[in-house]
Amino acid sequence: MNDVVADEITGYVARVRLALGGLPEKTREELLEDLPEHLAEVRAEGTGTLVERLGEPAAYAAELLAAAEVPDVKAEEPDRYAELKAVRDQVVRGLREADVRVGPVLGYSKASEFLALLLPAWWVLRGYLAAMVLAHVFATGDERLGLLPRVGGSGVLALVLLGACVVGSIWLGRRGTPAGQWPRYAYWSGTAVLILLAVVGFATVDDEAQVTPSYVDATYSGNSGYENVRDVFVYDGQGHPVENAQLYDQNGQPIQLGSQWCDDPDTGESVQSWQRGYPRCPKLNPFVAPSPTPMENGEWPTPDPSVPPSLTPSVTPSVTPSAKPIPSPSK
Amino acid sequence: MPCVDTTQLLKGVLDLAVLAALRDGDGYGYDILRRLRAAGLQDVGDASVYGTLRRLFANGFLNTYVVPSDEGPHRKYYALNAAGRAELDRTGKTWRDFASTMDDLLQDRGTV
Repeated sequence: MNDVVADEITGYVARVRLALGGLPEKTREELLEDLPEHLAEVRAEGTGTLVERLGEPAAYAAELLAAAEVPDVKAEEPDRYAELKAVRDQVVRGLREADVRVGPVLGYSKASEFLALLLPAWWVLRGYLAAMVLAHVFATGDERLGLLPRVGGSGVLALVLLGACVVGSIWLGRRGTPAGQWPRYAYWSGTAVLILLAVVGFATVDDEAQVTPSYVDATYSGNSGYENVRDVFVYDGQGHPVENAQLYDQNGQPIQLGSQWCDDPDTGESVQSWQRGYPRCPKLNPFVAPSPTPMENGEWPTPDPSVPPSLTPSVTPSVTPSAKPIPSPSK
Repeated sequence: MPCVDTTQLLKGVLDLAVLAALRDGDGYGYDILRRLRAAGLQDVGDASVYGTLRRLFANGFLNTYVVPSDEGPHRKYYALNAAGRAELDRTGKTWRDFASTMDDLLQDRGTV
């Protein structure tokens, strides 16, 4: 019998303790210190179970809490957040001051008056951001982040999604901040997440726009951006054209640009170039008069396999220097 | 909701009531509850009395001692100490002033 009563008391105390779970442990244990003895007295002096006589443990805990007024708790709670609150108050004060000071610059008595006018613009932007995030979530492949919320690369779908999100956002904005506590939490945390994602996405897009592709397959076919390049003319530091120049990328790979075919400006004939490097068609140099001057011992692109290619540079460069006085670098 | 809620009134004077109940002699928790109920405070709850005792003890108005018991549980007795007696005198006076003010007010208006 005694064991049963002891169990009943222990159980009751445990449930009261559970109901006081919000309290700091020290305060709670101080409150509960004598409760088993007290309940034993209560149990010993009457009839009926504890629950019958005292009510549910949770109700008992609430009454106990109200009566004990738990001074420690009241002192501790503000302490725990005091610093945060002080910071918050300071920030709010600073914002108010900035509000008043910046206002006149914008032509309003307060900056917030001007910002309030921008609210619908924010709703539209929010709709756009939401659409972008949705599109990114539902993105199937490895589409790169662009400016439209494309789903599966479809532009029409993107516009539909964009329109729906913008209208939804405006509708939401006109309803105002939700009234309930949890809807409000959801509202603000959703906004925060959206802004965060927007900043990340913006940075990504901007980053990708900044980087000129470091290495594009520089072939004359495909979308390398160099498909219009037909030939390359290289000049040295003195402004002399370099013949048979070789181009390499950072990996030591030769850069292949232009074509091997040269259009003869006079005949319009397409002849294959036998130059080993750039320019493939030295005759077509845009900086040099089209008709090459003296001493050309033959037509340029003459296919002459017997002549070692190393011979060509020795001939052509000698032309240009001779046209200018060389000693000028002696200064 | 009535203008005068006994539970609310009780909340304000429970400290004083418990101190007063201990003036007549030391007592353990359930004993004090019984005294209060016998004195006419029927609505007072067990948890309220226990919580008030814990708080008065924590504030230094009460001493406690345990009395072993052969049959039944050990009993923790609460006793007024000097600070508790002084508090009883002080709040007792506050209450009397308050109560007489209320009495005067009610009689002036001819309500009672």
